[in-house]
Order: sequence, then C-alpha cells, then structure tokens
Amino acid sequence: MIEFKDAAVVAPDSGVPILEPTTLTLTEDRISIIGANGSGKSTLARLINGLVLPVTGSVEVDGLDTQKQGAQVRRKVGYLFTDASAQLIMPTAVEDVALSLRRVIKNRKERDDAALAALREIGLASKADVSVNALSGGQRQLLALAGVLACTPSIVVADEPTTLLDLRWRAHVGALLRSLPLQVIEVTHDLDSAARAERTLVVDLGRVVFDGDPKEAVQLYRDLMFGRASQGATA
Amino acid sequence: MITLLGIYRPARTPLHLAPAWLKMLMLLGISILSLATSDPVTSLGLLAACLLLLASTRPPLKATLKGMAFIAALAIMAAGFQVWLGDYVRALDLAGDLIAISALALAVTSSTSMAQMMDLVVRLAAPLRWILPPETLGLLVALTLRAIPEAAQILTEARVAARARGLERDPRAILIPSGARTVGFALQLGQALHARGIAEHGRSARAADREDRARADEAHAPLLAEPPVREAPTGETPEVPEPNRRGRRERRR
Ligand SMILES: Nc1ncnc2c1ncn2[C@@H]1O[C@H](COP(=O)(O)OP(=O)(O)OP(=O)(O)O)[C@@H](O)[C@H]1O
Ligand SMILES: [Mg+2]
Repeated sequence: MIEFKDAAVVAPDSGVPILEPTTLTLTEDRISIIGANGSGKSTLARLINGLVLPVTGSVEVDGLDTQKQGAQVRRKVGYLFTDASAQLIMPTAVEDVALSLRRVIKNRKERDDAALAALREIGLASKADVSVNALSGGQRQLLALAGVLACTPSIVVADEPTTLLDLRWRAHVGALLRSLPLQVIEVTHDLDSAARAERTLVVDLGRVVFDGDPKEAVQLYRDLMFGRASQGATA
Repeated sequence: MITLLGIYRPARTPLHLAPAWLKMLMLLGISILSLATSDPVTSLGLLAACLLLLASTRPPLKATLKGMAFIAALAIMAAGFQVWLGDYVRALDLAGDLIAISALALAVTSSTSMAQMMDLVVRLAAPLRWILPPETLGLLVALTLRAIPEAAQILTEARVAARARGLERDPRAILIPSGARTVGFALQLGQALHARGIAEHGRSARAADREDRARADEAHAPLLAEPPVREAPTGETPEVPEPNRRGRRERRR
C-alpha cells in the first residue's frame, strides 16, 4: 500500500512547484499514470521509492516513510527506467542480475545460479553471457526488469518502460508487466496500455487532475491535450 | 581499445580456473620483471609467453586482434622513436615490454569476470573497512570500467553530430555536449544504483539488510511463478509462507 499525505515537491534551486500537495492511497495492483510532457509524472513515480523526497508532507510504502526508511522502501519498490542502458551496470547479462543479488547471496556460484534462473524466468537465458551492449533495446529492457525482479520487490514502478521500444517489444514488455504478481505502477504515453489498468491518474501542471476509471481518464487526457493544442494554435 | 573491456567469456581454460588474485599477482610480477630487465632476449621470451597465455584463454578473435593492433601501433611508434635516437636494443626491449604487458593484461581480463574482480577488490579492501566500505570500492571498479565505453560512445556521437552541423572544427561543439551528456549519464546511473538499492549505507539500509537476511537464501526463488508476500493491511509483519522451499530449490538446479 502506497500513501501520499499532502506530499509536495518544488524545484530545488528556483522553488517553483513541481508537484502540488498530493494525497493518495494506492492499493490497486494495476495503476497507470498519464499526462503531458513535463506535467510531473516522473516526479510522482519517483516519490514512491524515495528517488525524489517530498518537501512537505510524506510518502509511505507499507507504513515505511520514504524519507526516514529510504533503503527499506527501495527494497520493496523496484524501479524500471525508460532507458534500460542507464540501468545496466555489469558487462554481461547474468552478471548484471547477479549484482542485484550480491547483498542477499554471498556465495558467487549460488548467486550466478540464481541470476541465471531469473534470466530463464524472463526468457533471456540464451543471452546470459552476452555483452549488454550487444542486446537489442527490448532485450535490454527485459534484462533491466530481471535485475529489478531479482531483488523480490512487492511493488514495481515503471517510468515509461516501453517508450523506446518497437511495437512488438512494447506488446511483450507490456504483457510481462501486466502478468507480474505484484503491484505495478506504470507511467506511460501508451494510452491503450494505460486503459488496461484498474485505476488511472492523470497529471497536469504538477497536479493530479483525475483519479479513477482508466477509460474516463484517457478521454479526459485527450480533451485536455486537444483543448490545449487548439488554444496554442489560436494564441 | 574500448572493445577490450567486454571480452570476458566464460570458459574452462587454465587461466579461467585460476583464482583472480593469482592472475593479478602474475600480471604484477611479470610487468615488474619485464620492465626491470633491459635484455632483448628476455624481453622477447616474456613476449612469447604472454602471447601464448593470451591465446590460451581463447578470447574473442576480432576484438582481441583489434585491440592488439592498436597496442602494436603504439609499440611501433615508441620503438621508432628509440631507433631515431639510435638505440636499437632499447627499441626492441620497449616494444616487447609494451606488447607483452598488454597481452597479459588482456589474458587476465578475458579470463576473469567482473564479479571475480569485484570480489578481489572487496577482499583486498577489507582492512580499510573502517574508512571505506569494501563493497563500495568493488562497485567503483565496476562502474569505472562501465563508464569508459559509454564516455567513448558519447564522444563519438558528439563528433558525428558536430559534423552534421558543419562544426567539426569547433572543439566546443564536441566537448560541451559530450561533457553535459557524460554528467547526465552519471546522474542516471547513480539513480539506477539508488533505485536498485545497491551500495546503500546507514541505519535504514542495515535494517533492510536484517529483513533481507531473515528472508535470505530462498527469497530469490521463482519471480513470475509465485505471488509475492504482501504486507498485511494492519501493518504487522506477516509470516512468510514457505511451502516446501527445499524441494523448490532442488528443482531449479
Ligand atoms: N530537479 C529539477 N529541477 C528543476 N525542475 C525540475 C526538476 N525535476 C523536474 N523538474 C521540472 O518539473 C516538471 C515535471 O517533471 P517530470 O520529469 O516529473 O515530468 P514528466 O511528466 O515525467 O515529463 P515527461 O513526460 O517529459 O517524462 C518539468 O517541468 C521539469 O522540468
Ligand atoms: Mg517523465
């Protein structure tokens, strides 16, 4: 369970508000977040695992405060970035997953076995010893996901995980995320994917302007965008 | 050169099986030996031995040849300079040393995984535990090696972009964007590390470590097959259901 209590974020240097005080309780297993570029979606997502801390108010995950118990929160909350390349650290696929397991499994052989099992689970076993630079964008995103899942989170927050992928990979990664037996919170520009959630948040100008039924949310977002586009065109 | 950073391939050659510390010691010993001796016969002997060792690890051919060609070019330039000074013996010795040490370094990297290197660094850094956490130092080594090819790629792309705009003669058009992107990459990597909970310290991390250890060993079992443990809504720590753990682990082998 994720609880925002009047959590607000401002730009560190200018003090400009990035996210207005927000109160939310997120319990559904499939939640999507949509909104325009620069509206504050990533900020909202990052609040959940303490990558961004609220300036006022608080964010709690299963009762753990992201400010005071950040490390504990991050073990519960896996985070998937748009660009998997920046998330991969070790030279080969299996080593990268093993890195996630370093703290938990001290024995190298056991760790490598577990990492290999994680790769097998996600369908990347044949790429275990391949350099991460030789993987396709889609494979890299899968690998990043394997690295996240290896830490056995109970929540996965994904910030536009499919934006850089082609249609086929987008469908594959999307389906995989939906199949996870975890709470998944996905920031996305893919409205079809957003509409498949149980609950959708629409963010605009640093505020959650809608929170509820995905289909309604998508409709509202379209209206918002096209309304603004015609305004921009006439201005 | 850049291609050489990723040449490790798992295999069962003698060097692959040798412990990392032994290989490092060998690299150190032979480097000192070859630099200390100025006799061209010893130099050439060491060179031959090092090349054989490199070949014995069966490294990926293309990347290795490319890297060695680069080093050979360097060696020829260095030797050419000595020849120009009239010192033929020194030229031979210098070129031999350079190629031998590089080949041996390659032999070590192509037979040692990053995880083994990290473990070695962690072990060597153990006495410094009170100053710097050894795991952090190990990670630092991995990150440095990770950053080099990325920085090289950023530089290449900046050069192409500058050329596309007809600015290839302006160093600013290359250095400023690559500097900015390198910093951006470092920030992203830092956030990714943070997000994966790697190398975290402090009270909260230690508390999390304790929880992890409590779940330990079996925690990384099936990822997709099994629903995770969700916290009871009361906020109490739920009992971890562990049906038949042992059996599951056996099957996974
Ligand atoms: N550290 C920061 N300092 C100043 N401004 C920031 C900072 N981080 C974010 N912002 C600003 O806050 C706003 C929201 O950013 P955020 O990244 O959350 O948007 P987003 O909805 O994820 O956008 P996108 O769809 O482009 O990813 C943007 O206008 C951004 O420029
Ligand atoms: Mg964003």
